[in-house]
Amino acid sequence: MPVYTQVNEKVLHVTLAGEEVFARKGSMVATKGDVLFARSFLGGGGVQQLAMRAVTNEGIQLMSARGHGEVWYGHRGLHVSVVPLRGERLCVEADNVLAFDARLRAGTSFLGSQGLRGLASGVAAGQGLFTSTFEGHGEVALLSDGDAIGLEVTSSRPVSVDPQAYLGHKGNLDSTIVTDVNWKTLLGQTSGESYQLRFTGQGTVYIQASER
Amino acid sequence: MRLSFQSLPDDDNLGRFAYSIRVDGEMFIRKGKMIAYFGSMKFEAVGSSLVDILFKEAMNAPMHVNDFVVVQGQGKLVLGDNGLDIAAYNLEDATFTLKAEHVLGFQRTLRCQESTLPGYLTLIGSGRLLASSNGPVVFVEPPCRVDEEAVVGWADLPSPSYRYDYQYVQGALAAVGAAAGITRSGEEKQLDFYGNGTVLVQSSEDALGRPGRLASIVAQLTGLHASELQQLSREVSGRMAGRS
Repeated sequence: MPVYTQVNEKVLHVTLAGEEVFARKGSMVATKGDVLFARSFLGGGGVQQLAMRAVTNEGIQLMSARGHGEVWYGHRGLHVSVVPLRGERLCVEADNVLAFDARLRAGTSFLGSQGLRGLASGVAAGQGLFTSTFEGHGEVALLSDGDAIGLEVTSSRPVSVDPQAYLGHKGNLDSTIVTDVNWKTLLGQTSGESYQLRFTGQGTVYIQASER
Repeated sequence: MRLSFQSLPDDDNLGRFAYSIRVDGEMFIRKGKMIAYFGSMKFEAVGSSLVDILFKEAMNAPMHVNDFVVVQGQGKLVLGDNGLDIAAYNLEDATFTLKAEHVLGFQRTLRCQESTLPGYLTLIGSGRLLASSNGPVVFVEPPCRVDEEAVVGWADLPSPSYRYDYQYVQGALAAVGAAAGITRSGEEKQLDFYGNGTVLVQSSEDALGRPGRLASIVAQLTGLHASELQQLSREVSGRMAGRS
């Protein structure tokens, strides 16, 4: 198993003993030992996954690192947080992924099934309705503007988040888009919080302290 | 950092860039700065409904009213401000003047009024105040001089005055500058504080540059003469030429 440790809030250190790790292209800042880097097209998924990513714009250019040694990753001074997956499913915007374990199954999924209202808010938030998904046992390193905050959701405690501060979510969660649009919005008197993502179920929602 | 509803603080920072506060009733926050909440909450624009009849006491700053919303409900609210540092101040029968763009939120027990210094807000009374800043805030005891771009606000102090460098006042440059309408921005002009109290300074001279800043300047144009407006126009185009 590759070992993920954080050197500081912005740099991730990975120790490899024969395994493979995928990372955002150009995010490797240093390396030591016998590590082989290669451009990766598939990123852990199959050909179908690749096609999905190309169509849905959730693709990031990946590079794989394999071998025995150490690799340091960082990207544009953004904060890094490591999310361990133990059989759960993580949904995250592709832009916020720094690195992930090759053991994980990566894919793309459709986030909103909210009809037109959901579609409208996806456009408003400047984010797609498709997200990247990771499943299995392993680690995913997320990028965030400021430190990432994980909010635990239980069945009795749903959480609402600003779509622009949303990074991703883990576990068995349902998301709905709550709109707070009324006649006042049309007059230009918005509350600034007209669209919210509400998560119900059991799991963790990750947010960043910035609205992009 | 992983937090549940229970472990989320009632009134404390989450790291440097986010703040968690319990809401029980109403409070004011800057528009669009909610990043998450547990519980049931409603966000309404000030000046748009029956709420303002309730709050006309607390929010008495028509120039800045559109920058704030009223939060109503019960639960825990997480605020974030584009990666700016957030600090909380507990005011007890205090007078606290801040640059308007730094005010992130405040409880309705505080009264928010426009300062006589354009672009500044004064909060009077007791309650919680949240302020954002570019880098952590440093506290300075007067007498002191502070760069205007770096000042966040001051507590229990009379309004400051401008202090120019002696050489600048004496020099020929000042006379030429006044005639041509050019002033050098920066170190030759500072805010001068006297009295007993505290001055809050952010660790960067980069002002936050929110839209509210421009609004406060535009609102002052009403008192200007036609010739003064022309002069202003020349000043603005001169600055733009200098920047490009």
